[in-house]
Amino acid sequence: MTNSEKNRLKDKAFQVFGVFCTFIGLVILAVFLFDIAIEGFSRIDWDFLTSLPSRRASRAGILTAWAGTLWILVLTAIIAFPLGVGAGIYLEEYSRKNRWTNFLEINIANLAGVPSIIYGLLGLEVFVRQMRLGGSLLAGALTLSLLILPIIIVTTREAIKAVPRSVRDGSFALGASKWQTVWNQVLPASFGGILTGIILSLSRAVGEAAPLIVIGALAYVPFTPATPLDEFTVLPIQIFNWTSRPQEAFLTNAAGAIIVLLAITFLLNGIAVYLRNRQQKKIKW
Amino acid sequence: MNKKTTKLEAKELNAYYGDFHALKSINIAMEEKNVTAFIGPSGCGKSTFLRTFNRMNDYIDGFRTEGDILLDGRDIYAKDVRVDELRKEVGMVFQKPNPFPKSIFENVVYGLKIQGIKNKSVLEEAAEKSLRRSALWEEVKDKLNQSALALSGGQQQRLCIARALAISPSVLLMDEPASALDPLSTAKIEELIYELKSEYTIVIVTHNMQQAGRVSDHTAFFYMGELVEFSKTKTMFTSPQDNRTQNYITGRFG
Amino acid sequence: MPHIDVELEKLKTKLLEMWDLVEYQLQSGHDAMLQADQELAKQIIKRDRKVNQFDVKIDRMCENFFALFTPVAVDLRMVLAVLKINANLERIGDTAEGIARFVKKLDAPVSEPLLEMTKVVPMYEEAIAMFADCRVAFKTNDPVLAKTLIKRDRALDKIYRKSDTIVTKFMADNPEKISEALAVLSIIKKVERVGDQVTNIAEEIIFYREAKVVKHKQDKKKKKD
Repeated sequence: MTNSEKNRLKDKAFQVFGVFCTFIGLVILAVFLFDIAIEGFSRIDWDFLTSLPSRRASRAGILTAWAGTLWILVLTAIIAFPLGVGAGIYLEEYSRKNRWTNFLEINIANLAGVPSIIYGLLGLEVFVRQMRLGGSLLAGALTLSLLILPIIIVTTREAIKAVPRSVRDGSFALGASKWQTVWNQVLPASFGGILTGIILSLSRAVGEAAPLIVIGALAYVPFTPATPLDEFTVLPIQIFNWTSRPQEAFLTNAAGAIIVLLAITFLLNGIAVYLRNRQQKKIKW
Repeated sequence: MNKKTTKLEAKELNAYYGDFHALKSINIAMEEKNVTAFIGPSGCGKSTFLRTFNRMNDYIDGFRTEGDILLDGRDIYAKDVRVDELRKEVGMVFQKPNPFPKSIFENVVYGLKIQGIKNKSVLEEAAEKSLRRSALWEEVKDKLNQSALALSGGQQQRLCIARALAISPSVLLMDEPASALDPLSTAKIEELIYELKSEYTIVIVTHNMQQAGRVSDHTAFFYMGELVEFSKTKTMFTSPQDNRTQNYITGRFG
Repeated sequence: MPHIDVELEKLKTKLLEMWDLVEYQLQSGHDAMLQADQELAKQIIKRDRKVNQFDVKIDRMCENFFALFTPVAVDLRMVLAVLKINANLERIGDTAEGIARFVKKLDAPVSEPLLEMTKVVPMYEEAIAMFADCRVAFKTNDPVLAKTLIKRDRALDKIYRKSDTIVTKFMADNPEKISEALAVLSIIKKVERVGDQVTNIAEEIIFYREAKVVKHKQDKKKKKD
C-alpha cells in the first residue's frame, strides 16, 4: 500500500468516525423525543393544561406548574436584563483596561461555571432568609437571575463588540457623548444579539429545578400564584415529583409535562434563532 | 484675492502613544477656506495629526499631547474646551464610509438630534441643504427613509460628508476619504472637495499623490513623525525643497 | 464644471491673450513698415518683453498643470499642444520684433516699385490673416480650418523663393537703394518664418484634436519623388 493510499484510507476512516459522532447525539435525542411523544401526547388535552395538581393521576393537571414557570420566566427576564446588559455595556464601553477590570472579567467567567445548586444555596441564604422573601416567586426569580447573569453579560459584550469601531467614531465625530453613542448607535445595532443571548439564557433558566428546590419551591401548590410574593412550583419540579411516584399513570403525566416544557424551550430557542437571522440580514457592515 | 486668515494652527506639537513619540515638534498654520493635504508614508503620523484637530485621539489609551493646537486662535486642548462643542466646529469624514445602520434621513440629522433639535421641519430643511451641498440630493431625495446601508460606497461617503455638514462646521477633516472607492466615486468626492472649499477649511489625508495635486492648495509632507515640508501644492509638486519630499512624491523612496 | 476643466480653460484663455498680443505686434510691424514709422517700431521692440513674460507664465502654468493634474488622453495632448504653441507664439513675437528692427533702419517709406515687385505687402497681409485664422482654429477646436492653413503657407513660400532674384535685379537697377532692398528682403524672410510657425501651430491643433501627427509628412513625400 502506498503512502497516499494510506492517507486516503485514514481520511475515509475519520470521515466515518465524524459522521458517527455527529449522529449519535441526534439519534439519542430522536429516540428520547419519540419515547416521550408516544407516552405523553395522548395525555395532553385542555383539562391537563388547566387542572390543578391532584393525588389522582387521571385528574392531575399542570396549571400551577406552567403558570409558575411563566411567572419565573417573566420576573427573571425583568431582573436579569437591565443588570446583565448594564454590566456588559460598562465592561465593553466604559471601563479602561487595567487590573481591576481584569479581575472583574475573570470572576464573571468563573461565575458562569458555578454549579446551579450553589446558586440555590446562595439564594436560600440571601433572598429567602436574609431578605425574608420565603419560597416566593421573587426569591426564585432573583436566584435564577444570578444564575444567568454571567451568560447575559458575556453575550452582551460579544454583541457590542460586533458593532464596528467606525460607527462609534462616526457618532463621536458628530459631537455625541459616550452615552449618546451607546444609546443611539451601539445598542440598536447590537440589540438583536443581546436579545438572542437573553432568550437563550432564559431557556436555560426555565429548565432548572435544583436551585428552586433548594430555596423551597413546592411540589404541590393548589393555586396559581397571583403576586411575585406567592409560593410557586415550576414544570421541572412537577416533572421530578411525578417521576418519583410509583404509579404508572403519573409517569404518563410526567411525559405530558415534559412535552410542554420542551415546547417552551424550543419556542424560546426558535425565537432566538429568528432574531439572529433577522439581525444578520438587516445589518451588513 | 481676499486676505487669508489662519484657521488651524499647531505650535510645537508633540504627541505620544505611551512611549512612542508619534509627532515631533510640529509647527504649521493652515489658511481659512483652503484645502491642505497631508501626505507621507504609512505610520508617518499624518492621520494622528489630523485626529488631534477634533481630539479623536482622546479615546486611545496612553495618548497624550504637548504643545498647542489652535482653532481660530483658541487652544482646543485647553481645560475649558468641551469636546462636543469642538466637534460641532470641526467635522470629520473617515477612510471607510461609515453610515449608521439607519435611514438616510436619520443619518444626516443625527448630529442635530443629539444636540436636542427635534423640530421636524428644521431637521428636514437641514437634511435637504446638507444633501444638496454634498451633491447627493438628486440621487436620494425619493428614498430618504431607506436604509443608508443600501447606498453604493461612493454615495455612502457623500452621505457621511452630508452628515458632517449638517451640524455646520467650519473645518472638515478627511482621513483618506476616497481610498475605499472606485475611480468615478473618487472623482465625485474630489469635485465635491473642490466645491466645498469656498465655505470650509478642509484638511485631507491622502496616500494618493495625484489626489493631493488635484484637490489641495497646500501640501504638508510628513515623515517619521516630523513635518518635513509644508508649501503650496504647486511648489511642492514642481520644486520640493527637501530631498525626502522629492523622493517620496516621485516614488523613489527608500 | 470639473476642476480640471476650469484649469484647462484658464490655460487656454491665457494662451489666447498672448495670441492677441502677438497679432497686434505683427499688425503694428506691418503698419510701421509701410510708413517707416520709427516710433511704432520702438514700441514693438519694447512690447516684446510682454510677449516673453507671457511665454514664461504659460510655461509655468503648463508645468503646474502636469504636476498637479497628471493629465491623460485629450487633456494631455491639449497641454502638450499649448506648450508648443506657446513656444511658436513667442518666436512669432520675436519675428515681429525683428521686423521692427529692420523698419528702424529705413529712413523713408519703402519705394512703391519695390513693394509692387516683391509682393511683400500681400504676403505680409496673408501671414497676418493666417495667424488670425489659426487663432480661430485653436479657439473653436477646428482641425479642418487648421489643415487649410498648411496649404496656404505654400503661397508664402512661393513669394519667398522668387524674392531673391527680384531683389537682386532691383539692387542692380537701383544701386542707391541697396540697404532699403536688403531690409525688404529680410522682412520677407521673416514673414516666411511666420508662415512656417503658423503651420507648426496648425499641426499642433490637429495633433491635439485628432491625435494625428501631421508634421514632417511633406519630408516623406519629397523623398519618394
